[in-house]
Amino acid sequence: MHEVEARVELVLAGALGARQVVAWRRDVKGVASGWCRLGEPEQVLPAARALAGLGARLSMVSASLVPAAPNATGREVAYHFDLDGTTLTLTLELPLQGARVPSLTPVYRNADWQEREFRELYDIEVLGHPNPGRLFVDRSLEPALFERLIPYSTFINGASGEKLWRQVQAAQQENPS
Amino acid sequence: MSRTVITLGPRQLGLEEPMYFRVQTEGDRVCGLEVLAGQVHRGMEHLTLKRNFYQNITLLERLCSLCSNSHPSTFCTALEELAGMVIPPRAEYLRAVADEIKRIASHLFNCAVVAHIVGEHTLFRRVMELREIVQQSKETIYGNRMDLAANCIGGVRYDPDAGAIDYLKNQLERLKSPLEELYRVFEDAAVLRAATEGVGVLTREQANEFGVVGPVARAAGIDYDVRKKSPYGAYDRLSFQVAIEGAGDVRARALVRLAEARQAVSLIEQCLDQLPNGPVALASFPEVPAGEVIAKSEAPRGELIYYLKTDGTDLPVRLKWRVPSYPNWAALGEMLKGEPVSRIPLIVNSIDPCISCTDR
Amino acid sequence: MHTCKVPPAPKLRLYRINTGSCNGCDVELAATEALTRFGLERLGLSFTADPTQADLVLITGPLTVRSKGKVLAEYAQVPDPKITVLIGVCPISGGAFRDSYAVLGPLDEFLAADVNIPGCPPRPEAIVAGIAEAARLWRGGEGPQLAPAGFPAPANLRGRMSYRAEACVGCRMCQHVCAGGAIRFEEQEAGVSFTLWHNSCLFCGMCSHYCPTGALTPTGEWNLAHPQAQKYQMVEQGVVPRISCSCCGVPMLPVVPELMRKGYRALTRETAQLQTLCSECRQVRSIGGLQRCTK
Ligand code: SF4
Ligand code: SF4
Repeated sequence: MHEVEARVELVLAGALGARQVVAWRRDVKGVASGWCRLGEPEQVLPAARALAGLGARLSMVSASLVPAAPNATGREVAYHFDLDGTTLTLTLELPLQGARVPSLTPVYRNADWQEREFRELYDIEVLGHPNPGRLFVDRSLEPALFERLIPYSTFINGASGEKLWRQVQAAQQENPS
Repeated sequence: MSRTVITLGPRQLGLEEPMYFRVQTEGDRVCGLEVLAGQVHRGMEHLTLKRNFYQNITLLERLCSLCSNSHPSTFCTALEELAGMVIPPRAEYLRAVADEIKRIASHLFNCAVVAHIVGEHTLFRRVMELREIVQQSKETIYGNRMDLAANCIGGVRYDPDAGAIDYLKNQLERLKSPLEELYRVFEDAAVLRAATEGVGVLTREQANEFGVVGPVARAAGIDYDVRKKSPYGAYDRLSFQVAIEGAGDVRARALVRLAEARQAVSLIEQCLDQLPNGPVALASFPEVPAGEVIAKSEAPRGELIYYLKTDGTDLPVRLKWRVPSYPNWAALGEMLKGEPVSRIPLIVNSIDPCISCTDR
Repeated sequence: MHTCKVPPAPKLRLYRINTGSCNGCDVELAATEALTRFGLERLGLSFTADPTQADLVLITGPLTVRSKGKVLAEYAQVPDPKITVLIGVCPISGGAFRDSYAVLGPLDEFLAADVNIPGCPPRPEAIVAGIAEAARLWRGGEGPQLAPAGFPAPANLRGRMSYRAEACVGCRMCQHVCAGGAIRFEEQEAGVSFTLWHNSCLFCGMCSHYCPTGALTPTGEWNLAHPQAQKYQMVEQGVVPRISCSCCGVPMLPVVPELMRKGYRALTRETAQLQTLCSECRQVRSIGGLQRCTK
């Protein structure tokens, strides 16, 4: 096992009190990525502290519904850390109702926007965020947009495309080429 | 001293795109900054879930025109990794050519904007003229001046013949001495130096704290370039030195970009010289199994990261990406602290911020 | 009202509004403005940062929910009469972003558009051609008809897409890969009709890349600027006629020579006959043929 990988496993075990299973993969170029699912959402905070101690940079946070939208039974938040070229992803599995995660902003300043963003797109509460306001999504739109899409979509999605195509058709009938 | 809050829009900030700032001032100095994002939020991450992989290649290229090639190429890399496809070597080199040609155009655009803001209008025009060589090359080789449409799943969509390669080499030759000259101007010309040196400083410690990337990080002395740290495509076979400065000011950021523009010329030349024969893409319609994957690249503004989750269909379950401008915005507050209000446009543009990228 | 008599046409001022674009059209507009070779100045046009001083409004982007208030307020500041130019397919049809929760789509639902410049992005020469058309409209249809200068269109420019029904097999691959939602097929009695709407086309060429028969190809035609009245007429159309299977008579779409060439390497009299057979009859015939050969 490579040095970074061993160090990551060591600090995660130290912070969480038990050995964590990290699946390491290498892409065609030999670049490593590690994938680890945490048992409890709260664990992400001590894990992040430990990784910060290793000099890891928080690269991105990805929230998602699983499985894909209309059939979702739960959600996930994946935190992607960069360790000098190696990417470690810590994934939290969260319920559909009452999903809560601790804020990492006290550890990583750049978690601020990432957390505000998934907060406005999904029904996930971020505990202890210093500034939890809307970020990108206009206030006139309902919150948790990625989750309201099913009813919302029938209302707005595809409608404008259909309307335009009817106009294209009408123009051709009036004015056949 | 009196504290006031002012709101600045794209026109006051000297931006091509709509972004608003709430700036706290003390006298004529900046003491606090809030970035009001969202004007260009097009719900793109959600849109990608309603589009199949093929449509997403084109959609992602419309995320931002300045780094437009980085998105489809990184997205395709993610898909190929999941599908276990190893793209032909010729395709790897041609992807790098497309990425580097976009890097030159992007860096030159920023350089022109910076010249404009410091009042060097002749220089501004000169840089825009120089950039036209790149624009015309893109249009000639790829068919469009901004969106190259170079990528497909399994490789690239263009296969330059000897004539096209000669043409491109010739165009690169035309760029060389003007790019060198431009570097010297930003390095030494008195007016530029006075306007940019020691201005908008981000220290190395602050840069680390905010997790900034790309030229903004490298200007502050952080030796990080995805092409070196997590090599992809042809970059493990190309030789270049990561451009680094130490001062962390507006000047250092400009110099990093100009060094990278010159380097990009050399990278494209290396690609064209080493270009292997063979196909430019694998057969087109791969099965993409269920899974999750990360793909990264060094876009003109820095580290770009994609996360893709699939379920075996040709629609993503989740496609998430973080653009390099994203972490760089927050660090602006530090760069602006204590600076006179009049310098805001220059400092803002010195991070070469991309709003369409950030808002998505 | 102007003291200056020569040139007779007053200088017109352009005002730009970005409603949430990818910045492609904006960066091209910046180049159009900065570089004299594109000839805006020669047309007596210049940019202004003050909406109240403007005559022509140039709009880019698909109008996001967030930008709407600011955009419409800014637009209202431009005094009437004004000519409004939509640049890129974004403001014309919503372009790649149509149907997003955050995008309000075609600008002409919110204001009166006069000239459309399709493309994604259109090249500066196309932008200038559209603006020239707008200037002519402003001057009551008078003024120089523009012969756009600039850089001659290179051979493999991705401009207007062209379609040949003779080569189309109606497989709909193009529609499947089209991110612009620019392609529609419709079942008609006579056959399958194909429509490509240029005002929704992103110039990406994916349709032609994946088309198995070469029925779709990009052309070098880049000047697609048109008055708003023609918005919905900007199409590429054709019908793939249904024929009857020469063996069983069932209605079918013809198998085009391009596909036969791919499948059978060469066109012979024998394979040409297969083209008029439905897939079932074709299978029977070619298996029979194969058996004959191997015997
Ligand atoms: S039309 Fe295309 S290039 Fe222009 S702003 Fe829209 S997406 Fe960008
Ligand atoms: S070029 Fe073809 S695939 Fe691309 S948007 Fe236009 S019609 Fe669709």
